[in-house]
Amino acid sequence: MKGVVQRFRVMALLAGVMSLLLWFVELPVVYLLDAPELEAKVKWIPFVHGYVYAVYVLTAIHFTAKARFTIKRMILFILAGTLPVLSFIAERRVSREYKF
Amino acid sequence: MSQSRGLLKKAGNSLLALILISAFIWLGFWQLDRAGEVKELQKPYQEQPIVPLSEVARPNSNLSGESVNRIVEFSGVYVAQFDAPNQVDSAGRKSDWLVALMEVDGGGYLLVLRSGVQSDLPRGDIKVTGRIFPRQYEDISEREAGKLSRLDPSLLVAQYPGDYYDGFVAANNEIRDGMELSVPRVILEPAEPSIPRYYWQHIAYVVIWWLMALVVLFLPLYGRWRERNP
Repeated sequence: MKGVVQRFRVMALLAGVMSLLLWFVELPVVYLLDAPELEAKVKWIPFVHGYVYAVYVLTAIHFTAKARFTIKRMILFILAGTLPVLSFIAERRVSREYKF
Repeated sequence: MSQSRGLLKKAGNSLLALILISAFIWLGFWQLDRAGEVKELQKPYQEQPIVPLSEVARPNSNLSGESVNRIVEFSGVYVAQFDAPNQVDSAGRKSDWLVALMEVDGGGYLLVLRSGVQSDLPRGDIKVTGRIFPRQYEDISEREAGKLSRLDPSLLVAQYPGDYYDGFVAANNEIRDGMELSVPRVILEPAEPSIPRYYWQHIAYVVIWWLMALVVLFLPLYGRWRERNP
């Protein structure tokens, strides 16, 4: 269980950072600013976020199944990776609940 | 009563799962199509037939990706001419470009790159054939009165109020009264996409949407497994 929790925590932090970058850097640059040069510089963010989120979903399913969470909780953990800050909250809760 | 309610709930859940799975699979295919479009864009530009300007661009509208590099024809009257200093052509030659503002027949102003050398502004109705390019976003030279620091129609809006076409056209030829105007043209290769759009970004979204479809399939199995193994 320790490995599963640690993998989930790492991915939750990574997904959280990528969500913050996506929502507060990439999206404003693309949709609010008219700056193609800057746009080209932040285009890696959705690309990396996409793959990080895919791995996050797998680790979240693995962890929540191992912890025998309800389906509802599993879905919430999966969705936590899509919104900024939520995955940090999930990570904090897990680290408080599972101390090794 | 409770049995039929249970059946109804099961049917509702199955229907919801089916809708979600179909939606996720469809979204995956949609992203796959977009990835294919990006791959197409990254191929060298394939020349297409000449079209009237009005078919690929409109005043006050952003230039679409498909319009960039098209060779268009249009006619109108030149209203002003400017120097655009320090511009570089496709061969790497730096020169002051001669850029004119045309009032296009049917309405709207359009920047036309006429030449790399000085020439008088032709009067009367001129028919132009040339390639559309996206506007330049960064100043190439200092801002000075009567000069264009970059080829961007927004620089002229205050001086010549009206509707503007986005981007500019590099003229291949200009015809007045059936006679071609003889001025040396600036050679510009078709523009490459200015923003690198990643093929693998769309593939990442394909992975996510199809993963979500699998998750929806997996959830009921997980629920049953959880009930049997408390």
